[in-house]
Amino acid sequence: MAMGAPVVPPFLVVRNISKAFGGAKALRNASLDIIAGEVHGLVGANGAGKSTMIRILAGLNHPDQGSIEIDGHTVGIETAHCATAFGMSFIHQELAFVPGMTVLQNIMLGVPKRSRFGLTDWAAIARDVEPIARRVGITASLNANVKGLSTAENWLINICRALVRKSRLIVMDEPTASLSAAESEKLFAIIKDLSASGVAVLYVSHRLDEILKLCDRVSVLRDGNSVAEFTRAGLTRKALVEAIVGSAHVGNDSRPEYAPQTHEIVLRVQNLTRLPKVRGVSFELRHGEVLGIGGLVGAGRSELVRLIYGADRADSGSMTFRGKPYAPKSPQAAVAAGLGLVPEERRTEGLFLTKSVAFNLGLVNLDKLVLGRRVPLLSRKSQSSLARETMKLLSIKTASVDSPVGRLSGGNQQKVVIGRWLQRAPHILILDEPTRGVDIGARAEIHRQIRELAAAGMAVLVISSEPDELPDLCDRVLVMAEGLIVREMSGASISRSAIVEASYGERSH
Amino acid sequence: MVSGAIDREDDQMSDASTYNRRLTPRAKAGLGIFARYATILGLLAMIVAFSILSPKAFSTLGNFTNVLNQASLAMIIAGGLTLAVVVGELDLSIGFAASLHGILVTGFIVHDKLPIPLAILIVLVLGALIGLVNGFIVTKMKVNSVIATLGVGTIITGLAFAYSAGVPIVAGVPEAFLQLSLGRWLFGIPNNIVVMVFVLGILWVLVERTSIGQEIQAVGGNPAASRLAGINVDRIKTLGFVISGICAALTGILLASRLGSGTTSAADSYLLTAFAAVFLGSATLRDGEFHVLGTLVGALIIAFGFNGLNIFGAPTFSQYVFQGAILIIAVGLSSLGRSLAES
Repeated sequence: MAMGAPVVPPFLVVRNISKAFGGAKALRNASLDIIAGEVHGLVGANGAGKSTMIRILAGLNHPDQGSIEIDGHTVGIETAHCATAFGMSFIHQELAFVPGMTVLQNIMLGVPKRSRFGLTDWAAIARDVEPIARRVGITASLNANVKGLSTAENWLINICRALVRKSRLIVMDEPTASLSAAESEKLFAIIKDLSASGVAVLYVSHRLDEILKLCDRVSVLRDGNSVAEFTRAGLTRKALVEAIVGSAHVGNDSRPEYAPQTHEIVLRVQNLTRLPKVRGVSFELRHGEVLGIGGLVGAGRSELVRLIYGADRADSGSMTFRGKPYAPKSPQAAVAAGLGLVPEERRTEGLFLTKSVAFNLGLVNLDKLVLGRRVPLLSRKSQSSLARETMKLLSIKTASVDSPVGRLSGGNQQKVVIGRWLQRAPHILILDEPTRGVDIGARAEIHRQIRELAAAGMAVLVISSEPDELPDLCDRVLVMAEGLIVREMSGASISRSAIVEASYGERSH
Repeated sequence: MVSGAIDREDDQMSDASTYNRRLTPRAKAGLGIFARYATILGLLAMIVAFSILSPKAFSTLGNFTNVLNQASLAMIIAGGLTLAVVVGELDLSIGFAASLHGILVTGFIVHDKLPIPLAILIVLVLGALIGLVNGFIVTKMKVNSVIATLGVGTIITGLAFAYSAGVPIVAGVPEAFLQLSLGRWLFGIPNNIVVMVFVLGILWVLVERTSIGQEIQAVGGNPAASRLAGINVDRIKTLGFVISGICAALTGILLASRLGSGTTSAADSYLLTAFAAVFLGSATLRDGEFHVLGTLVGALIIAFGFNGLNIFGAPTFSQYVFQGAILIIAVGLSSLGRSLAES
């Protein structure tokens, strides 16, 4: 062990765990050990398995293989309650709060409370909590309503709650994502203080500068594997990025060279803004091109797409679609204009899980499935034959077109969401994370289909957080960071490492 | 509990994973089949049991026709409610609305001397209008449909009192209007049954066999996905309320005709019956999905149940117990079906 053989076993040891969701392996062989009182960094690209690791520690997912030890004893973390009992607290980016309650009530949420004569003794609790609250830097009165408090103060309340519970490990997921620089500095001081008092912190972040500054040790995950562990001595930015990105990606397959000048511009986006996530984005999209948008989760990519698709309204900026001004008021308007969207969350935003495959495929093609323009009666025959045609095109595997789509595998479900748009042939097809949670075979088929659509003249916009996906698929890639396009690359200059580097680019403020 | 979004995801998954972990696939399939056919088996078992216990009073063509005739009004209002729940909302205003419509139609005919067809037409349009108001409040003002329709229903009750001053309109109801419900104009089949079959037939075709029906099912199944697929979710939801409102009006009209009077609160109790029918129906043949045919089965179960209780002279209290219990069982079966389908 890097810090010298510890006399006592580490607080937490995660040994060789793996976890798969459907066909997709989120963790393959991941290990992690956390010593009492250390600040331990956990880094990795999107989809490397960080979230799954945290969810397993929190008792929300259960590993398929491997073991977890706490204080040297093998344990099973069955529920969130177990995780708390083992002395672990989790602070997530989106904090859970009860807005109408006081600071003190929020701190004590879910914590056993002292009572007198059967009534909660808030005065005694306040006396106990007060010093802890001051220690973590809560300046607001414990009796203040949490409604007016800032995100930073909410973080402090969560840290305080963890200490009141006597947590020995606090897991912080992207703690500074919505904090100002000054607030972040305060948080760092508190983390140092926690560490000094023997509380370990697992610090999960994309922000390498913070990792470099704070952490005693850093574990790196890549594609579900533990690929590196650094101690403070060997920690450099360059080494971290290399470990996150991995070996240089092998060159693109030979696909026909794309010649942009021969294609018409279908969508022009100018200075599109919707604060805080999209801050003045401009680009052009041409017929027949596959344009990728890379960047980290939270960079504003999905929010940008929602603006283009009419799901949200822009604060400012403009768009032209096929030469005409375009400002969709709703997705309905976008679909009518000739756009299609394959959303990020297929189960919640894409599919009707209890409905049949034919129903799911037919939904945006209803005008083609009726007996006549003035006869809105549905032709079940057309519906089935359209479904069968699409299934053949995308090789969707299902027992029948009448099977509920929820019974299909992740890859086949994703093909259904994509296949819905094929018959409609929109001018622009937007795919948000088209192969998330999809096995390798289905992924190749989906990629092939996307290329074919582009070859037929469709403009395709692909968002992906999978490091290899955009280089494989795209003619051109835009990288977004903090709501801005920070890099554009095309053709042979698109590479996994260039995208990841640009994603982690120095922050502008 | 840990904080944040991790929690919420977990809550959504907990149902499915509980079933996944505790039941073998075979047990799950078996339970699914049971849930799907339990209502139909229940209906048949009830008919058989009553027939054996009381062959002379229960299992006669006359009694069956009578039960169906009695149940027709509940079936029509429940059919309309089915549309509201298929689009994912609840409509609690229907019973109150039907009461108001009964008063209005008799008032228009007796006091205002309007021709019967015109009076009926006006009331049906008013029914649609109430649905439109419900839809507007739910989709545009973003008021939860339970609260919205309860509020509208209460206001409607107030309007009914304002119009009738609480006094039933009895005198001067023309025989022609009574014949609307009492007559047997088609092959000697009671008119109520004919109207019911006609209405439920239309509703079934609308939901199951038209393009707009696909959108109706989509909106109820997953509003977020429907919106992203380019469906006007607000319009479809409003349509559900409008159809529910029209069916409530029709029930109110037929009830006024059957009673020969317009009485405040006459149709209020149809609300519970309709809900029980709709939820029993959602557990029928499909896994917790609301559908018109299911509602028909649900309404039959309730109708035969009440009929049996009456024939055996069961005390009044037991009828309340029956109705309350059947509502709870219905919703229980419905959510069992749904959680099995999702796991």
